Amino acid sequence: MAASKASRLGEEIWKTRIDKVNSELVVLTYGTIVAQLVKDFDSDYVEVNKQLDKMGYNIGLRLIEDYLAKSNTMRRCSNFRETAEMIAKVGFKIFLNITPTITNWTSDSKQFSLVFDENPLADFVELPDDGRAQDELWYSNILCGVLRGALEMVQMQVEAHFISDMLRGNDTTEMRISLLRYIDDELPPEDD
Amino acid sequence: MVVFSFFIFDRHTECIYSRSWLPPSVMEGPTPSAAVLTPTPSSAITAIPDLEREHERNNQGGRPRDRRSKAAKAGDDAKLIFGTVFSLRNMVRKLGGDDDAFITYRTGQYKLHYYETVSNLRFVMLTDTAAPSMRNVLHQVYINLWVEYVVKNPLSPVEHKGGDGVKNELFELGLDQFIRGLM
Repeated sequence: MAASKASRLGEEIWKTRIDKVNSELVVLTYGTIVAQLVKDFDSDYVEVNKQLDKMGYNIGLRLIEDYLAKSNTMRRCSNFRETAEMIAKVGFKIFLNITPTITNWTSDSKQFSLVFDENPLADFVELPDDGRAQDELWYSNILCGVLRGALEMVQMQVEAHFISDMLRGNDTTEMRISLLRYIDDELPPEDD
Repeated sequence: MVVFSFFIFDRHTECIYSRSWLPPSVMEGPTPSAAVLTPTPSSAITAIPDLEREHERNNQGGRPRDRRSKAAKAGDDAKLIFGTVFSLRNMVRKLGGDDDAFITYRTGQYKLHYYETVSNLRFVMLTDTAAPSMRNVLHQVYINLWVEYVVKNPLSPVEHKGGDGVKNELFELGLDQFIRGLM
């Protein structure tokens, strides 16, 4: 029930409330950023992954407000499964016009995977043929940071990382997301 | 309808923006300079029928108090307001369940309206007692002004410690126009 409601919501917002930009502009801009990072860090791909995640995190901290405003969200998700639905069917839909598949839940409902059938960031991309990029670079790692930052602002501490990427020759592009904890409300400082 | 004042509190419980609109009676008072169209948040706080009315009465007599004590008082008011709405919100959730929301309370002098976003940003507005629900208005302030002019401003910081990045011209002008449009 929640699933179809989320898709309808995502679809409706995408159609009515979103300013669209040329996708190639986004793809090429993102590609330029990654290429520049690779250059700046001398092909230290582990560091590039880290930087992309950090950039994503800073984007996520702000993007969540736009998400809440556009989706008119007035209440919290009642559980992490609902959160996953909203991420995949509303969040990814309205910002990237894709809906990754939610799968591989652990039995405690604290970990799931997003499988990306299509990944607009990776259009036209071929990883460098230096024998290391294929094993070390997570090209779309910015998305992990975005999720981490956005969820932190709505009081969920999560960990997100890619476990496979079609750019590396894997069969799928899959991101693993784990809920670490719910963050408590901050309390005002005690008065003397 | 009259809007007296407006506050924004962030998720760290800090007051990151406050603003007050003077009712006409105060505009004829001893300090007309405080009645300019865009009062600074620290000025003109005496216009609110606030939580420290008694204290206020003792100070009346046409003698304008100095800026520092006003600013300090404004800060105290903001803290009091936050403490009040935070407690009420927690009590409401305790009694009505986690999805319940504290919306408004009314006294003999004013009505306080409250809206909290899922990202724990809190909007508070004080109006006269006859005003209709302003929840929607506060939601609009969030969507159309806060997100557009503060969050989407690339140069504004993510955290607004001490009000950093909130007091930009677009946001303040937009807010002023929007609120005056209601009155």
